[in-house]
Amino acid sequence: MSTTSQKHRNFVSEPMADKPVTALAGIGDRLGHSLTEQGYDKAYVVLGQFLLLRKDTELFCYWLKDVTAANSKQADDCAQCLKDWCDAFL
Amino acid sequence: MSFVQYPAHLSKSRLKSDLVAHNVELPPAGSKKEAYVALHLRHVDQTNAANFSSDDDDQEDVVAGGDPESAEELDPSALTDNDLKALLFKYGVKAGPILASTRAVYENKLRKLLQSAEEGESNEAENAVLYSDSDEEDVSEENEDEEKELVGAQEKKAEALEPNQQQSNEMETWSAPSACSYSKPEHWSRSSRDPGRDILKDLLPDTKTSPTGIYASPRRPIKGAAQRPIQYAYPDTPVSPTTLERREVQRRLVPVYIQVLVFFAVVCILFLIFVNVEDTNGVVDLLESLNQCPDGEDETRDAACGEL
Repeated sequence: MSTTSQKHRNFVSEPMADKPVTALAGIGDRLGHSLTEQGYDKAYVVLGQFLLLRKDTELFCYWLKDVTAANSKQADDCAQCLKDWCDAFL
Repeated sequence: MSFVQYPAHLSKSRLKSDLVAHNVELPPAGSKKEAYVALHLRHVDQTNAANFSSDDDDQEDVVAGGDPESAEELDPSALTDNDLKALLFKYGVKAGPILASTRAVYENKLRKLLQSAEEGESNEAENAVLYSDSDEEDVSEENEDEEKELVGAQEKKAEALEPNQQQSNEMETWSAPSACSYSKPEHWSRSSRDPGRDILKDLLPDTKTSPTGIYASPRRPIKGAAQRPIQYAYPDTPVSPTTLERREVQRRLVPVYIQVLVFFAVVCILFLIFVNVEDTNGVVDLLESLNQCPDGEDETRDAACGEL
């Protein structure tokens, strides 16, 4: 049984196109704002960072926690969301 | 003693205890680690004589580089990008491009790896001191296996599990910290989410994972969307609601008779309209036919008119 959230399922079900960064699972308004300030305004930019880290969810979690005030669960959800998207579309 | 391949990786105390165990005279107390390493190589690593030349070269390069292997002196933030990448590779982490955004992450990772390596080594050193020779080998071997399996197992797994290569590397780097009492529940939860990890455990039963030894991984396909079974499609509504709906519709269909009566009434109306629209002769004929009915049938005519 899948333990993913609705947001996760929505994101992974289709190509991300120009979705904002808040469309990512685990990224709410606060984190989204924080990321946008740093220049990561679209989901594909965060995807770029994820790919730079060779799609390693652990490293991506480090990065996200470093760059924003994300907690472990949020970073985990986001990393898993991106990983699943990559598995499906990349 | 084949598990000891890179003496420079070991801590000073570990090298000391190893030398003592092999009855080798220790260098003077204030010697640098290189002296211990050299002695260790000479006297302990006798089985790896064939590898000595390459080892020595590596050791010399490493030693000449200011002994970067000893964790106490190592500062990841002082390394160049290439050095950082090389060090990470030694720990089995294949690093991507080290850019401004990724550098902090990799430094962090290296620090964690160094800490866990230190913890592992200090445990080994304590065990070596406490236990006798025969026990020492077993205990230190067990502890070494955690680290060495990482390095060795990376290649094994790379050959055995090509599609899961990246994921298996992640798995092993995660399991090392967790094995070395690095409580990170997110690793366990993440691994419990990922499928196919059970395969790794089956292949490498020696791999130490969670301290409790419990690993629950629900099955989950890894492949792309095209091959992925009904994961992101919600289960269809159960059959019973549809049957309930059908029953409701059937209930509505019960007054079919009313619908039929209405139908016939509409047909009659349309027939009359059709007749009226046609030539007046037809109308006249109709009227004549009606008039031909004797007065005795007035009642029926009235009834017929009333019905309309």
